[in-house]
Parts: sequence; structure tokens; C-alpha cells
Amino acid sequence: MSGRANSIIVVGGGASGVVLAAHLLKSANPDLRVTLIEKRPHFGQGIAYSTLLSAHVLNVSAAGMSAYADDPGNFWRWLQERGLASPNQAPVYAPRSVYARYLKELLDDLEARERETGRLRLIREESLSITPTASGVEVALANGTSVVAHLAVLATGHDEQPALGHAVRMGSEADTALDPDRSVMVLGTGLSMVDAFLALEQRGHRGEIVAVSRRGLLPSPHRKGNPIKLDVADIPLGTQLSYFVGWFRDLIRENQKAGIDWRDVVDGLRPFNQKIWQNWPASAKRRFVEHTKAWWDIHRHRMAPEVYARVTEAVQSGRIRLVAGRVVGIAPGEAFTVDVQSRHSQLVETFEVARIYDCSGIVRDISTSSNSVVRSLVDRGLARPDPLRIGLDVSANCEIIASDGTVSAKILAVGPLTRGTFFEIDAIPDIRVQCARLSKRLLG
Amino acid sequence: MLTKKGKYGLKALVHLARMPAGQLAFVGDIATGNNIPKKFLDAILGELRNAGFVQSRKGKDGGYRLARPADEIKVGHVVRVLDGPLAPIPCASRTQYQRCEDCNEATCQVRHLMLEVRQAIAEVLDQRSLAEMRDIAFDDLPVAGDIGDLAVAVKIQA
Repeated sequence: MSGRANSIIVVGGGASGVVLAAHLLKSANPDLRVTLIEKRPHFGQGIAYSTLLSAHVLNVSAAGMSAYADDPGNFWRWLQERGLASPNQAPVYAPRSVYARYLKELLDDLEARERETGRLRLIREESLSITPTASGVEVALANGTSVVAHLAVLATGHDEQPALGHAVRMGSEADTALDPDRSVMVLGTGLSMVDAFLALEQRGHRGEIVAVSRRGLLPSPHRKGNPIKLDVADIPLGTQLSYFVGWFRDLIRENQKAGIDWRDVVDGLRPFNQKIWQNWPASAKRRFVEHTKAWWDIHRHRMAPEVYARVTEAVQSGRIRLVAGRVVGIAPGEAFTVDVQSRHSQLVETFEVARIYDCSGIVRDISTSSNSVVRSLVDRGLARPDPLRIGLDVSANCEIIASDGTVSAKILAVGPLTRGTFFEIDAIPDIRVQCARLSKRLLG
Repeated sequence: MLTKKGKYGLKALVHLARMPAGQLAFVGDIATGNNIPKKFLDAILGELRNAGFVQSRKGKDGGYRLARPADEIKVGHVVRVLDGPLAPIPCASRTQYQRCEDCNEATCQVRHLMLEVRQAIAEVLDQRSLAEMRDIAFDDLPVAGDIGDLAVAVKIQA
């Protein structure tokens, strides 16, 4: 074990931080020290699982949400043990607050188990910066103290960047009480828009919800199925985007002819998504993000069928209006006057809305991150944005890469921050695999 | 199986990988230099262009060059485009499965083993770049006792 890193600080105690800590603590190494630092009052919640609304359910069925890569049924069993699901039930989409409880209990169990060993330490404090030292790293905290270890892993999750322009974030302080009969606008038509709609419904909002995105596309619903079997030897790698998209469309068409649902083809590709992404030339990655991602996302990132039914009902009844276009002007006043140019007719339509919600999900430049640790790493040249600037540049081993191209042996990252290298790394099924591999590499 | 098409395509790409950066090669030179029928080569280069591995310029000074650095293009990438899914026998594929007249695919042990073999093929071909293939020295053809002795296996462990 000599030469191995025994002490590891995990910066960020949301879902990805807890999942990483759980995988690290699987090691039998008695000298291991894991320090998990979270600025929020509760561990395991982050932004994703802090919602208390029961209508805000997971977008992945319970069978896929285990925190452990080598025990995929862990969450499903947990639900059944608590009487929250029955064995033969159709796919269950549990409320996210229930998932937060699962992660909390998981961490509580770890804490109890490691109390004797002292291998796990939890700190409720904001981290300000990470500085490499001769023997490891030092993480400075907002209370003026600091923690040292051999290495640090960033698990800061999704960036909480301020809302665009005059827009506000749903549930933020700026999201004050509203006349329930007024129209509101939502920027974005994806899964965050759906969350916003459900929250507005819960509050008894009755006014029209105008949802605007470039294409005005709504995500698809899940359906029970069996992903098709593929091998890496079947999949074209390293081609330009158009070639790959042509191959994938043909594959869907052939399978549909055989009576197979397109979801089973999309899901069959999932185990290879990172490999496909990593083998693409830079031009294909850029084109994908600019042109194809919106189309991919509505097929790949789906919602529970019950939620889909509520949303489509609202669209049909006119409660939600989907608009494909872009905002070309906003005039603030007692109400906001918003000009939206239609994608199809190019005509500009004007909307009067009482509030604009930012649900665009756009990752802006990571170097302007709201997270002080990330920003300070970039400012000091210890980290750099990936070529698409959607996250930090990291190696295939999760090591962050400095502005001069040096790969850090002491500072690593997991989760959404690594999407430039790992592509789809927002959801638990992908994050747990990343955490398992990293733990194995660090601790053997 | 590597077909003639796949083999010719790889030879043509190695030819292009030897050219000074940015310089175009004439199709006629590639064909005669590698013993490839010119018409067949035209078709192969057209497919490689569609997949984004080569660029072409028309006209008197026209020709082909690599669209990306030779160390970025992996041999496995090229073979899949020219020959379809990597497979030692036609039935060992998930997407372009070709039924054998004389077998039951569910119980055929040969097919099962060959599905495993194709993973190994992918492992080797997806790690080797055109640049590495170009720089293969003929006097150190691998004589391997087991897969651990192969150059790719060394890389897997690294």
C-alpha cells in the first residue's frame, strides 16, 4: 500500500459526493481517511434531490438508481424494505425527496460503521479553494480553517449559475409570490421546464405557461422495454457526426421494422455513449452540442409516463404553450414584454408575462462558474475548461488538467464537471460507474 | 473478416499518413504504389471521405489527404466503415447478423465463441492508430506467447 493516497477530500456532498465516498469506503484499507465537505445543511441532496414536492419524481426508474455500481438493485430493495414499492410493480419513479432520504440513510449507515475506524469525516462548510502542497492538497474553508489530504476530488455537481437576464430560477429567493392568473414564461422546454410546470401547478397557478426553446420539443415518456444488445464491434467510432447519425437512424429504422421500440435502441447504445463521445473528432463533438444534442436529449432523457400524461394534457388544454423560437427582446415593467421570433415563420410574437423562469439548462462558460473552488482553480491556471467549455478538462482517469496541459495527480473531479470528457455524466447510473472505477484506481 | 476493401482502404490511408502534412496524394499514385485497382480505390476513398477520415480536392492538382492527424484515426474506426461490424465470421454480429443456413444461432457454440473473439479484435484495432501502423518496423513483427506479450496488451496495462 506504500505510495498510495490514503487521505482523500471529496469537495461537494451532494449525490455524486456521497456515491463516491460510499465507493471509496468499500476499500479494506484501515488507514484510509475520507473527508466529505458539503455547504448545504444536508448531505446527499445537492440541487437535484433537494425538492420536497412529491410530483418531482426521478427521471430514471427505481431499478436504475442504486448508488452502487456492483449492486444495481440496492435502491429498489431499499424501497421495498420500507414498503414504498412492491416486488412486481411496473417501473417505479420515486419522488426525488425519497431518493434524498435513501442517500442520507446510506451515509448515516457509513458514518455509524466507520465511527470506530475514523475513516469517514463529514464537514458542513463551504469550500473556497484547493491548493496543491508538497505532500498533497489543502482545502480552504469559509470558516477560515483548512483541511489537508493526499488528494482532493471535486464533486460539485451542477453549476448554480445566476439566471439569464431578467429571468429567475424556480424556487430561488427571487421567485416571490405571484398572481396565480397571470401568464408566465419558461425559457426551455426540457425536463427542468416540466419541473417548473409541476411546481406552478402545486402552487395553484392558473395562468398560461409559455415555454420557449429553439425547437420547442418536449422530452419523451419512458416505456417498459428491453434495451437491444450491442457490442462495441458493431458501433462505428471516430467518424464524423453525419456518418454516425446516419448509422444510428438506420439502426432504429431496422429495429422498428422488427417491432422494436426506438427507446430500446437508444438505451442499447447507452453503455457505449462515453466511448462514442471520446472517439469523436473535436468537430463532431462541437456539431453534436450545437445541432444534435437537443434532438438526442428528448429521446434519451425521458420522463415518467405519469408526468408525461400530465404535461401533454396541459399542452392540449392550452395551460402550457410550447413555442419554437428565440427571445429577441425583453422590456421590463409592471409585466415583462417579451418578443419571441418563431423558428419556422421568422415572425415576432409579443408576450406579456409576470415572470420569466430560467429552465434553459444551458451550461455557460465554466470559467465563470458560481462555485468558488472551480473558479479559483481556473483563475490560478490549475484547471482549464474543456475544449467545448461545458466543464473542466479532465483526463480519462478523472485528473484535472492545468492551463499548461499538465495532468494533476492530486486534484480530480467526478460528475457533471467532467462532461467534456465523459459526455453523459449527470445521472446516477453513469456517475456510480465513474466513482467505482476511480475508487478502484485510487485504492485498488 | 477483413475484406479486400478493408485492406486496400488501410493501405491507402497508410500511404496518405506518409505524406508531408497537408500535401495531397494523387489517386493514381496511391493505386499503383499499393497495387490497388483504381476504380475500386475511388469507391473506397469516397466512403472514407463520407466518414470524415480523408479530404479531397478536385481538379488538376486534386487528390486526397488525411482529414485528421494519423495518430487520431484508429484502425478499428476505418475497418468498421469499410467492412461493417468487426466480426471473424458473418454470424458474429449484433447489427448485421447473417444467419448460417446450417446452424441454430441460439445454441451454436462456434458463434458464441466468435462473439467473444470480436471483442478481442475491437480491443486491438481500436487502440492502434494509423500512425502506429505506418511506423511498424518489419523486423519486429510480434512473436507473442500470449496476449500479454503484445504491444496492445502492454498499453492496456499501462
